Amino acid sequence: MIKNYLKLSIRNIWKHKVFSIINIVGLSIGISAALVIYLIVHHDFTFDQFHKDGDRIYRVVSNYSFSGDPSYNSGVCGPLPAAVKNEMTGIESAAPFYTLNDFNAIIPNGSKTPTKFKKQQDVVLADASYFKLFEYQWLAGSIKSALNAPYQVVLTSDKAKVYFPLLTFEQIIGKQVVYEDTIKATVSGIVQKPIENTDFQFSDFISYSTANSVKDLKEQISLDEWRSTSSSSQLFVKISAKLSVANIEQQLNALLKKHNPKKADDNSKSSFQLQALSDLHFNEKYGSFDSGTIANKSTLYGLLTVATFILVLGCINFINLTTAQASQRAKEIGVRKTMGSTRMQLISQFLSETFLITSLAVIVAIVVSPFILKLFADFVSKDIKFDLFGQPSLMVFILLLTIIVSFVSGFYPALVLSSFKPISVLKNQITSGSNKTRNAWLRKSLTVTQFVIAQFFIMATLLISKQIYYALHKDLGFKKDGILSITTPFKNNTAGKKQVFLNQLRAIPQIELVSVGGEPPSSSGTHSRSVSYTDGKKEIKTDLELKMGDENYLNIYKIKLLAGRNLNPSDTAMQLIINQNYAKVLGFKTPQDAIGKYINMGKVDKVNSEIIGVAHDFYPKSLRSPIKPLAITYHEKAFNNNTFHIALKPETAGGGEWKAAIASMQSLWKGIYPNDDFEYQFFDERIAKFYEEEQHISKLLTWATGLSILISCLGLLGLAIYTTNLRTKEIGVRKVLGASVSQIVRLLSTELLMLVILALVIVTPIAWYAMNKWMQNFADKTPISWWIFALSGVGMLIAAFVTLSSQTVKAAISNPVKSLRSE
Amino acid sequence: MLSLQHVSKYYQVGGNKNFVLNDISLDVDEGEFISIMGPSGSGKSTLLNVIGMLDAPSEGYHYFVGQAVHQLKEKQRSALYKQYIGFVFQAYHLIDELTVYENIETPLIYQDFKGSERKAMVADILDKFQIVGKKDLFPSQLSGGQQQLVGIARALIAKPKLILADEPTGNLNSKQGDEIMQLFRKLNKEDGVTIIQVTHSEKNAEYGSRIINLLDGKIESSKNI
Repeated sequence: MIKNYLKLSIRNIWKHKVFSIINIVGLSIGISAALVIYLIVHHDFTFDQFHKDGDRIYRVVSNYSFSGDPSYNSGVCGPLPAAVKNEMTGIESAAPFYTLNDFNAIIPNGSKTPTKFKKQQDVVLADASYFKLFEYQWLAGSIKSALNAPYQVVLTSDKAKVYFPLLTFEQIIGKQVVYEDTIKATVSGIVQKPIENTDFQFSDFISYSTANSVKDLKEQISLDEWRSTSSSSQLFVKISAKLSVANIEQQLNALLKKHNPKKADDNSKSSFQLQALSDLHFNEKYGSFDSGTIANKSTLYGLLTVATFILVLGCINFINLTTAQASQRAKEIGVRKTMGSTRMQLISQFLSETFLITSLAVIVAIVVSPFILKLFADFVSKDIKFDLFGQPSLMVFILLLTIIVSFVSGFYPALVLSSFKPISVLKNQITSGSNKTRNAWLRKSLTVTQFVIAQFFIMATLLISKQIYYALHKDLGFKKDGILSITTPFKNNTAGKKQVFLNQLRAIPQIELVSVGGEPPSSSGTHSRSVSYTDGKKEIKTDLELKMGDENYLNIYKIKLLAGRNLNPSDTAMQLIINQNYAKVLGFKTPQDAIGKYINMGKVDKVNSEIIGVAHDFYPKSLRSPIKPLAITYHEKAFNNNTFHIALKPETAGGGEWKAAIASMQSLWKGIYPNDDFEYQFFDERIAKFYEEEQHISKLLTWATGLSILISCLGLLGLAIYTTNLRTKEIGVRKVLGASVSQIVRLLSTELLMLVILALVIVTPIAWYAMNKWMQNFADKTPISWWIFALSGVGMLIAAFVTLSSQTVKAAISNPVKSLRSE
Repeated sequence: MLSLQHVSKYYQVGGNKNFVLNDISLDVDEGEFISIMGPSGSGKSTLLNVIGMLDAPSEGYHYFVGQAVHQLKEKQRSALYKQYIGFVFQAYHLIDELTVYENIETPLIYQDFKGSERKAMVADILDKFQIVGKKDLFPSQLSGGQQQLVGIARALIAKPKLILADEPTGNLNSKQGDEIMQLFRKLNKEDGVTIIQVTHSEKNAEYGSRIINLLDGKIESSKNI
């Protein structure tokens, strides 16, 4: 029986090639989207799922609030791990570790030029408790002795192969790795690198006790300072199954209170919280680890919605086309029924046919998906691969998807087709059968649904593009073209070296101006402090963001001065240029009024800083954040002024000057900082990066839009074929009575175009609501203009009309004699 | 074999009943070859469909091989005709996507015959109808007469007791028509198959053993030959 069905299905697919291709294309688009999005979502949702007792493992994180402003830190203060181990109950095990960034590693090999590995990112200080909490497979050495003594290091298998490519794991034990030129560690163990998805990507585990012997590290970790917290200082705990999270948090905060009693004038709050292991990959307040990336859950859910929609569109298409085609199958059904077929047998026949078509679509999707993944490669993790045989879960997903899609798209058509009465089929009455009205009604609602989805995508894409355009073209209050910044190294740097670099930079002919300072006017980082101003009667307290610069800072970024003067070389951190916003907050009517006033910067010596100028407002962050009080000032002596801001002269027609300038900067850099890599960043690119996520969403949505328009138009085509078939006789009669081609085209198109318009009416409020929600992410936003809706509607109408024309015109110009002859 | 008693079929049009069949009573014995004649619209095809249980009458009693068809449910009815009745249509109604062989095989599939049995039965009938050479062709590759031959072979494959033929020669030329009629006569005489056919042609009607004339849904005359 199955063989019979299969043979028949193949012949049917072959016979109705156009319909089959439309069906397969529609479904395979939906299925490809589902596959790719499944891979992305599955990747992110399977992070750190494999740890034993993972549901009881938590990270201790720190929450603060300074005068009402909350801030979050994924680390804990230095002494907490020891206190947790000694003074708390209910903790089964606690594993503190300390992440170290940009560590150099040297592998001595006896020669004068040992192999050097720069800026290793995944180095941590850890002890045996780490490997007790997170179980690794030991390939050499053992957990018992590997990290007990100072100057020991455990490597992951992949890292060991990098450091010692020629040796076996057993041979690597006992070899030396020198970190930061001074820490001579001996390899004491090798563990298997986790194969599952994990944020724990550490590869060099230096024994924690090493920190006691290395002065720099000891200072950094500050094991007895309760008042300072670094996100490098991580603490994971496994809590007892009997105790609640709240109980443990209470104990932790009691510890904090005991060791770090609050002072009276301190208006900050701090507390510990437990963060579940499953939250690690998704919580942007804390991030995963210093070098790790996290995923946004709402983006993932958004992706899932998009995939579902596109898949639903494909299924709707199939239902539409198959039921529209039904009359062509009617005779076969009638004959089969008189031959003694039961309804169940017919239903299973049609379902197996759908299954075959779906399977073909799945095969197409499997071929296409790797290319789609490549298309989105710039923002999809490189760990996501389409590897059919290496991922059993993917196989299962594909199988389930095939079955579900076959059933969803095949069930209704099978029901409709199998319900035909043989007598009416054999009498050629099927088109006027009782099913017709209900059927047409359902098909119309499905089509409206398709267009609602398609137009929603169009509108969303238009709006996001508009917002990105707005953000990138808005006058942000400063110049952003032709400016690049170079950050000199944090380590092994001196004021002298920087001065030399500055002087040399100024000598490069293509460079117009150089300023030394901190972050550029718009940056993701914030440096701010609590300040106050007393205007005689009352004290105005605010947070003030500080930008460090020198006398050239304003000139390079072309920030307008509204009153007062620019900084000059004789100024210090005692002179401020404030922004308009702050002047307003302080209650000055004109910028001029602010000049010469003093601000209490909360410094220990209680010396107030003077306002010497007021600058025009500019955006210190992306447009998501509003403009807040800000001041530009010289850096304080204690801070590093590491960033060089360089304004390049405009390029001439021939071009190439900037390239030359960058090349000369690089060679200067090599002379001064031979051990560090030369990196530069153009300011406009940095700003564009603020909107990276929006750019990605936009790219994804553009694709989703294109595909959904395509599928919807295919569906419309199906409906057009159906109606024109149904009305062949009517068209024939009308033509005999003298109707023109255009009159008939209008007659046939109007009804279907009304569906598109109905969809527009339905989708507009929904889209408006959703857009409004999304736009709340932005402090400064482009308006949701009426033309977004109009443009989407008109565009969809045109696409629909063109699709319809292919059928309606054909029907209208066909010879009426043919259509009337059949009676 | 079958008996219709006071069978009527009508459509309600406004307040009036529009009769297609009007109080028809008819008994058919096993081994009969009946030709139903009458002008267009006299209810011939409807009568045939009622007999074949494809259409239900509005009133009356219908017995078939001892069972009261008017009391049966849809499922039981289709089980009954599946077992006893073979249909032959004017427009052949072969399934275009199936080959000659597969078309003939289809009823056997629905009657749950095993693969090997099916093979033997189809081979047998192909042989009997001398269309072995055509078994892998599709309907569109055959002439009308050949298609009808396949249609009859398909109707006979499951060894029905009764063949219902709705103008089996209506789409054929007279020579092809004669051949089909010869075949019917042979089936009736040699295999004892009961046949009821609807026809317009006096000549074809005379192949049968009884001719029933319908007019306006009533039996006008019935004569044995």
